[in-house]
Amino acid sequence: MMGFDLAALLGLFGLTSAFALVGLVLAGWMCWRIAEKAGLPGWAGAAAILLTVTGIGSLISLILLWVFAFMRWPRDGLALAGASPAAAPGPGMAPAAPAALPLPPRVLADRRGWMLYDSRPSYTLTGEAGGGPDELVVAEPSVGRPHARLLTASGRIGLQDLGSPGGTYIDGARLLPAHGPRDITAVRTVKLGNVELALSRT
Amino acid sequence: MITVIGWLLGLGMFALMAILVVHVLFALLLIVPSWRIFERAGFSGLLALFHLVPVVGPFIVMAVLAFSDWPKGEGRPKPAHPA
Repeated sequence: MMGFDLAALLGLFGLTSAFALVGLVLAGWMCWRIAEKAGLPGWAGAAAILLTVTGIGSLISLILLWVFAFMRWPRDGLALAGASPAAAPGPGMAPAAPAALPLPPRVLADRRGWMLYDSRPSYTLTGEAGGGPDELVVAEPSVGRPHARLLTASGRIGLQDLGSPGGTYIDGARLLPAHGPRDITAVRTVKLGNVELALSRT
Repeated sequence: MITVIGWLLGLGMFALMAILVVHVLFALLLIVPSWRIFERAGFSGLLALFHLVPVVGPFIVMAVLAFSDWPKGEGRPKPAHPA
C-alpha cells in the first residue's frame, strides 16, 4: 500500500513536471518571438523565461518584464528603404541621421535605404533638391517638387500628399491632399509618382 | 453541528477571498507592464487583462504578442510586398 502511494505521488510529480517543462519551452519560444518583434535578440526573451528555473528566477523574470515594457526598443527606430521597380536609377531618400554622424548625400543612385528617426517632426519628399534641411529627395521626373510630407512622432510615421500630379499611394490606395496626414506606420509600400518605396523597421 | 458547518463555510469563504485577492494583486504586477507592451505593439491594452485568467492567462497574453502581426510594426523584417 505504501509503495502504491509512493508510486502515485511520484507519478503526479512526473506529470506536473512534464506540464511545467512543456509550459517553459512554450513560454521560451513565445518570448523569443516577442523579443524579435521588438527588435531585440530572440535569445534574450527566451533566457528571461528560462531564468524561472533558478531559485529566484520568477522575481528576475518579473523585473525583466517591467524593464522590457518601459525600455526603448530597437524597433522604435524607423527605416525607409527604397524598392523601386519603376524608376531606372532607383529612389533616393535624404537622411535624418543622428547629430553625431555626418549627413550622407541627399540623393542616392542605388537602392540603399535611409534611417529615419523621429527627432525631426517632418520631412518634405520632393523630386528636386531645393536646399531645405528637411528635404528627402527622390530624383525621378514623376515625383513632384514638392510631392508629399512625411511626419514622425513617437515611433510613428505619417504621410500627407501635397497635391502633386504624379499622385501618392499607400499600399496601392490613392492619397489625396483632402485626406490630410495619414498614419503609415503599419503600411508596407508608399508610391510617389512612379517610384515605390518600401517602409520597414530596424 | 450546524454551528461547525457554519464556521467551516465561513473559513472556506475567507480562504477563497484571500486567494482571490492575492491572485488579483499578483496579476496586477503582470497587467501593468503587459498593458504598456500591448499599447506599444499597437493592440488594445485591455488584452493585458487576460492575466486575470488563472494558470493559462499569461500564456494567452504571450501567444497574442508572439503570433500576431503588430499593428505598429515589428523589428523583424517582413517579406517584401509584391510590386
